[in-house]
Amino acid sequence: MLSPERLALPDYEYLAQRHVLTYMEDAVCQLLENKEDISQYGVARFFTEYFNSVCQGTHILFREFSFIQATPHNRASFLRAFWKCFRTVGKNGDLLTMREYHCLLQLLCPDFPLELTQKAARIVLMDDAMDCLMSFSDFLFAFQIQFYYSEFLESVAAIYQDLLAGKNPNTVIVPTSSSGQHRQRPPLGEASLLEGVEASLFSQCLENLCDRHKYSCPPPALVKEVLSNVQRLTFYGFLVALSKHHGINQALGALPDKGDLMHDPAMDEELERLVVRSRLHWTSRQHRAEEPGAFGFQRRDKLEAPESMPSASAPSPYPCRWEPRE
Amino acid sequence: MIPGKYRSVSGRAANNVNCGLHLVIQTSSLPEKSKVEFKLNKETPSFSGRLLQHDLERNYSSRQGDHIHLASSSMPSFPILQRSSEEKILYSDRLTLERQKLTVCPIIDGEEHLRLLNFQHNFITRIQNISNLQRLIFLDLYDNQIEEISGLSTLRSLRVLLLGKNRIKRISNLENLKSLDVLDLHGNQITKIENVSHLCDLRVLNLARNLLSHVDNLSGLDSLTELNLRHNQITFVRDVDNLPCLQRLFLSFNNISTFESVCCLADSSSLSDITFDGNPIAQESWYKHTILQNMMQLRQLDMKRVTEEERRIASVVAKKEEEKKRESHKQSLLKEKKRLTINNVARKWDLQQNRIPNIAPNQDRKVSDSPQDPSQLHGSTVSAFPEETGSLDSGLNNTLQGLSVTDTHLVEVDGDTLSLYGSGALESLDRNWSVQTAGMVTTVSFTFIEFDEIVQVLPKLKIKFPNSLHLKFKETNLVMLQQFNALAQLRRVDQLTIDPQGNPVVNFTLWKYYVLFRLSHFSMQKINGTEVTQNDMIMAERLFGILAHVASSELPQYRLISILGDVRKKQFRYLLETKGKKPGLVNEENSDSKRLVGENTNRATLNYTTRDFYNERLEEIKEKKKFCKMYMEDLVKEATEINMKNEALQKLWPQMFIELVRDAVIEIRNKNSYMKLCLQQITDQK
Repeated sequence: MLSPERLALPDYEYLAQRHVLTYMEDAVCQLLENKEDISQYGVARFFTEYFNSVCQGTHILFREFSFIQATPHNRASFLRAFWKCFRTVGKNGDLLTMREYHCLLQLLCPDFPLELTQKAARIVLMDDAMDCLMSFSDFLFAFQIQFYYSEFLESVAAIYQDLLAGKNPNTVIVPTSSSGQHRQRPPLGEASLLEGVEASLFSQCLENLCDRHKYSCPPPALVKEVLSNVQRLTFYGFLVALSKHHGINQALGALPDKGDLMHDPAMDEELERLVVRSRLHWTSRQHRAEEPGAFGFQRRDKLEAPESMPSASAPSPYPCRWEPRE
Repeated sequence: MIPGKYRSVSGRAANNVNCGLHLVIQTSSLPEKSKVEFKLNKETPSFSGRLLQHDLERNYSSRQGDHIHLASSSMPSFPILQRSSEEKILYSDRLTLERQKLTVCPIIDGEEHLRLLNFQHNFITRIQNISNLQRLIFLDLYDNQIEEISGLSTLRSLRVLLLGKNRIKRISNLENLKSLDVLDLHGNQITKIENVSHLCDLRVLNLARNLLSHVDNLSGLDSLTELNLRHNQITFVRDVDNLPCLQRLFLSFNNISTFESVCCLADSSSLSDITFDGNPIAQESWYKHTILQNMMQLRQLDMKRVTEEERRIASVVAKKEEEKKRESHKQSLLKEKKRLTINNVARKWDLQQNRIPNIAPNQDRKVSDSPQDPSQLHGSTVSAFPEETGSLDSGLNNTLQGLSVTDTHLVEVDGDTLSLYGSGALESLDRNWSVQTAGMVTTVSFTFIEFDEIVQVLPKLKIKFPNSLHLKFKETNLVMLQQFNALAQLRRVDQLTIDPQGNPVVNFTLWKYYVLFRLSHFSMQKINGTEVTQNDMIMAERLFGILAHVASSELPQYRLISILGDVRKKQFRYLLETKGKKPGLVNEENSDSKRLVGENTNRATLNYTTRDFYNERLEEIKEKKKFCKMYMEDLVKEATEINMKNEALQKLWPQMFIELVRDAVIEIRNKNSYMKLCLQQITDQK
């Protein structure tokens, strides 16, 4: 904890790096807003709860977008919360449009901007028809990259445009660099004939970028790895590669691996309890027999739900609060 | 039957041009049984007293025998008629030539006094050779083959002209027959009434069984008492009111279907007898009383006397009809107004949604009626309608009750449905609705209103219309699933209908499941007309259950309280705002909402604040945030200062400690002097 490098940082920088001030400010703001309610059970408890929730990642639930975007930890928590809540939608096999995903996002954050979702969708669809359907996992990983690294991606986009146009971003973006590298300008014709940009050139630019944005970019090593596999690549190709890269996902730490995306045993258990309860609730209210029938509106692509419903009388680890009725 | 001694020569004699014909025609008295409808009496000229049956087509025959000789004439085709002198003296004024198989009119010589001439049942094609009979009063050409009225121009004394059952196509050449009293043209092919205007003495006109399609041109017939138009194709009748003496009008077996086509009859004060049987109009339900109502002067209809009772009933029914018409006219006016208003609202809505380019406002069609006084439109108008309908048929029971129609919005209560069009209509929820009306409303329909505005009004809806179980939304801009959260505050919703038009949210695959999930405590039965099954509920739970779980269990306590507190605070505030609230009711509301919350705590935190409110709140928070920032900065500054000082102290402390220790050691070096010093200090202190 008390590592020497931590103590080596001057105060403000240290605080800024850990975003401590953001959380403190937010805590105090929340305290002010809910004065009457919180005063009931004490300020100390409030702070405990607040920071506990920050650690757990639940502090971003139903908060405004500006707060969610404020720190990387917030963003990661939000991604995780989104995954947790709507994993079941993905598990059900439904393919949804960009707008529908946006709707789901809005359930957690009412003022989430549409542009972000659009950008994420563009990554999945490779900038193609924007009304296409996307699978949950595709969207989620693309969204992760877009949301978590949004500033980084903007810079990358700028670099890419410059490269496409034939300009050498090194001489533009790095203003008074001591390196003073004057690369040869690649002949203009070449860049426009072939799609995308040269991977190695791109990689070098990105490296410089990463050096500047230390904490808000993917691990440089992994970026290099992504770029080393191909000769040329387009912007969206690059993003897709980023989103599908396991290492980057793990480095982020918000979402499980793609293979495990649909697994969450704790929540599944909870879900089963809820379903059972709703089933009992239903039968107690509706005395007439229901025909199991189609609802009548289209489901686009439904895979068989792998799990089976436990019967109401099956013993469950959680003590049932309702007696099963005949 | 013609007895044996009756020798007749075939009428084809006319074709033999060369031969001179000796026609000896004897008539004998015909058997008694042939009906004699028309009796020829000695006192002839005035036939006005005669009672003529309306079937003048019935033939008659004279009883007297006439000894008639038809001899050849100088003109090759016409036979000449001669009578024996005894007969001439006996029947000087009449001549009967029935059934003589005549094909032409014979030349009648020396009979200038003739007053009656009977040519019935022959085959005569043209009226000829009678111009010299200038005293003729009665001419009967029934049942011949005459195609044109002609050859009558000299018969100025003619009173009765019977031309029934011929082939006459036109009424013409009657100009000089100014004394005509009876004109019988039944059974011909006449298509038009014409050239009769000069017959001012005509009393009976029979045009039955012709090809008339309409009746007009009747002016000038100032003495006409009876007009027989049976068995034609008449569709409308005009000019009858120009007949001052017309008493009997027979229109049976024609093509009259509306009263409007014979409306001139109402203006004829002389009419007392009329028949319409065999017309389409006689089959109508309103036939009798309409005729009776419009023709109060009638004494007989369809050959039956009109009783007082019938007249009374007719007037009552007619009054009812008129009221019904007025009512339906009113209704159609209201409907039109409603339609225009809805169109107006729709256009405004489209403008708002930027769907159509902005037209200049004065191009908008405005319903030009003054907005009805709101005070008039509460219980008074509402109850007025039921009273009115009570007196009319049950068919008008479900009268549309347009309660408020203005340019920009429309509120309408129709039995169990309350329809609101346009955002201005939401204000109508503030009105004092009668308990009965409000209690009957089970469906509330919103059209052309922003959902965000509806959300603000939902608490009012809950209170004013407690039985509303079915909500319908059309063109309300439902775009987010989150907006459905707002419906949770209602007491109960059984059915929900979201029209795809104007509500993009319906395009989402999962919207119904989300509704079912969020509003599970309502146990909804139908969504957009489809019944909700248990599988649907389970699927909804399965899809979104975790969201609820996360929203409830993973939120820190203070957030839970604040979110729930917000909701309850809003409701409470509204309750306090409404006037005349009994404290008991308030408690009920509170416990109600508590109950609600208790039912599904895990969902209660899923709320919807309208965009405007949300932004407002964020604005409000900005101030606080600024303050917090400043406060924190101060704290941080303090903390860093202290930290700095602490660090500085850490650095300096070892040095300081050594110095402290050195000072102390130096002080104690000389034990004795130190002891003295300490004692001194102690005594000084005292």
